[in-house]
Amino acid sequence: MRRNQRATRLFTGALALPLAAALIAGCSSTNDPAASKDAEPVAGGTLVYASGDAEPSCLDPHVGGNYPQALVASQFMESLFTKDAEGKIIPWLAEKTEVSTDGLTRTITVRDGITFHDGTKLTSEAIKANIEHLQNPNTASSTGYLAVGKVDRIKLVDELTAELKLSAPDNALLESLSMPWTAIQSPQGLKRDQAANCAAPAGTGPFKVESWDRQQAVNLVRYEDYVSPAADAERASATSYLDGITWRFIPEAASRYAALQSGEVDVIDNPQPDTISTAADNGLGHLDAPRPGASNRLELNSSKAPFDDVRVREAFMHSVDVNSGINSLYFNTAKRSYSLLSSVEPLGISDESKFTTDATKANELLDAAGWTQRDSEGYRVKDGKRLTLKFPVSTNQSVPAEQSLFEQMQAAAKPVGFEIKIELLDLSSWYGALAKHEYDLVSAPYTKVGPSVLRILFHSDSTVPAPSGYFANNAQVKDPKLDRLLVDAEQTNDETERAELYKQAQQIVLDGYYVMPLYDQQNHFLYSKNVHGMGQTTAVSSPIYYNVFLDK
Amino acid sequence: MKLLAWLGRKVGGALVVLWLVATAIFIGVRLIPGDPAEAIMGGPGSQASAEALANARSEYGLDLPIVSQYFLFLAKLIRLDFGTSYSFKDPVLQIMGEVLPPTINLALMALAVAWLLALLLALLAMRANKFGQLLGNAVEIVAAAVPHFWLGAVLIMLFSSMLGWLPAVANGTAAGLVLPVLTLALPLAGFLTQLMRDSLNTAMGSQFALAARARGESRLTVFRRHGLRHAALPALGLTGWAFSSLLSGAVVVEAIFARPGLGRSLLSAVLARDIPMVTGIALFSALVYIVVMALTEAIERLIDPAGAES
Repeated sequence: MRRNQRATRLFTGALALPLAAALIAGCSSTNDPAASKDAEPVAGGTLVYASGDAEPSCLDPHVGGNYPQALVASQFMESLFTKDAEGKIIPWLAEKTEVSTDGLTRTITVRDGITFHDGTKLTSEAIKANIEHLQNPNTASSTGYLAVGKVDRIKLVDELTAELKLSAPDNALLESLSMPWTAIQSPQGLKRDQAANCAAPAGTGPFKVESWDRQQAVNLVRYEDYVSPAADAERASATSYLDGITWRFIPEAASRYAALQSGEVDVIDNPQPDTISTAADNGLGHLDAPRPGASNRLELNSSKAPFDDVRVREAFMHSVDVNSGINSLYFNTAKRSYSLLSSVEPLGISDESKFTTDATKANELLDAAGWTQRDSEGYRVKDGKRLTLKFPVSTNQSVPAEQSLFEQMQAAAKPVGFEIKIELLDLSSWYGALAKHEYDLVSAPYTKVGPSVLRILFHSDSTVPAPSGYFANNAQVKDPKLDRLLVDAEQTNDETERAELYKQAQQIVLDGYYVMPLYDQQNHFLYSKNVHGMGQTTAVSSPIYYNVFLDK
Repeated sequence: MKLLAWLGRKVGGALVVLWLVATAIFIGVRLIPGDPAEAIMGGPGSQASAEALANARSEYGLDLPIVSQYFLFLAKLIRLDFGTSYSFKDPVLQIMGEVLPPTINLALMALAVAWLLALLLALLAMRANKFGQLLGNAVEIVAAAVPHFWLGAVLIMLFSSMLGWLPAVANGTAAGLVLPVLTLALPLAGFLTQLMRDSLNTAMGSQFALAARARGESRLTVFRRHGLRHAALPALGLTGWAFSSLLSGAVVVEAIFARPGLGRSLLSAVLARDIPMVTGIALFSALVYIVVMALTEAIERLIDPAGAES
């Protein structure tokens, strides 16, 4: 895990910014241009943010629940819990929480004195209304829906306290409730029809939605009655420095970067690796905030030939040289991962030994697995069938650098005898290919706070498709021992045991050669030198602009 | 009377074309992979329950037999009911009303600039020497051939990143319109000039031009009074096509310059499998094409009544 440089500076240097920023800064690192070090915070100005993601069709992150929604909703909605700089879960809108000894009753008390943007007071009723909203099929929540899946019913104890009855113990619940996809919004707001709530959800965040000009911008303005839930907030003014944020959508990476360079916008996301590597030289700030949950990885479909044979899976791991590809294509902005989990997950383990490049070993393994013949094009053949790997790639989720990396793998695996068939698809077609099991290799990012993402990705239950055909266990791992470990890990109330169980579970997946980790889910932001105070993020590493200010 | 008959033929033809287009779209959108109910319930990869999907299907009439769906679709179209967008949950007509003006604005300006440039280039070419002609020809071919996405990127690099004269992305000001309009107009101008020059050369070398010159008229007057008319005709005939090409070019240009508009809506609607939006935009584009074609035909008749009769 990378130390948060800005947080460190705050403790040692002039305390121009509050401790609160450091407390929930998450695991991001920034390289501010030198000028910003001595800058005194000034209030005023509107920051222009340019996102490369598709414009959400709904600003309420309960509906659907993807990362672009989280990025913008992090400004106007807050969660019951969040993460501190060490990755530990701490209460946020919640004041305190406790769990019964059988793990089946979770009591949460919210802070007193917090009001939603629509004037509604934050009470225990909000917990109930929000979790029920997530569980309502008409909301069409996918991320948040899974996160609160074990909450059976909710009892209101008093004005501020709610009791959540669980169907099974769930030590990941607080992590689940730290994500923007389960953020708390006004129960009054939720009573509106969905289109109205989508257009302007009423949260408790430092900014509120003023208007949304479709395809142009979401206009956020300072919430004047904001109360920071951080107990030790030392900020003179509890409201944001910025008057507001203009949240734009500029799909083209080159246009976005040009707009940043010319000063038309102040912050951009999804920058191309080459522009990240030259950011410092160009006087731009850079925030590197890897997403939590799973690492970016290739999953090997073990439910059918050829990857139903562990020797073929192992051979694949040794047949390609991933590291040099990552270094050259990502300009050293992405670090190779050997873990199933993101580097910001404290319970992740790494095993580099499984992923050495060794063509000799790969050839031996494939020979042993019976892929002994070669056809005229040099690919291996067994029983008249070529050693072909179908690899649908989502152009929506794989940036150009990643697509190039896959093409390099394709070339590197050929001498060993693998034929990799890359198919570039739009998101719907890509999900369609997965649902029909038309894949041997796939890269499917998954963001979630905490190691319980492992259960979603590797429990055999996750091979059973949802009505839409979607399933999360793309590697098709079906291992009763692993299932048990993942369930136990979620139910124990002993931290050490939890870590140990997750360690064993990860080792099983790594030993089975089901997954080739590549790097953390990349989450970079570039900003111009008149932007200061970047670094505070939510539990899912989406930046918060509460402490950000602009040069005047 | 003749005009009325012409108008009647046009409207009748237009209705047939629209019906054909609507039918083609109806079939086409059902061939692309992806479950519409899923598109309604949160898009690809959603974890909507079977119950939620069933609700969505019945609410949008997706559980009816395909023939019933087709006639229901046509019946709604006749009443100008394009349905509700799957992803925005707003009426398609309302969304199109929001995104249409910026695109029409962009396309009309690009068309005007392209014509202006084409006329200017044609005039220059007429006065140029052999080398100038060759150079002009080369420039036109290159301009006509460059794809919008490349041209847009180069213009941004040049005028925004390097020179800092113009904004890289649209910002609602006039300056923000310059690069998008040029990106659309330059290839079209190249194409129009090519068309014009051929007929201009023929016209200027023809008997009547020579006769006019012999009467003592200047080259410019001959160009203005005789050449231009001949040169403009073939280009004008293709303006209907040009306008529809501008609309499709808008898909790329609106994405590059982050402009709101019909093209960007179409792109996101296709990706989100938002069938009512795709249908609405496609039908609308067909309508625009028909109207522009009819208009250009009318103008052609004004310029060259003899040609229209044949």
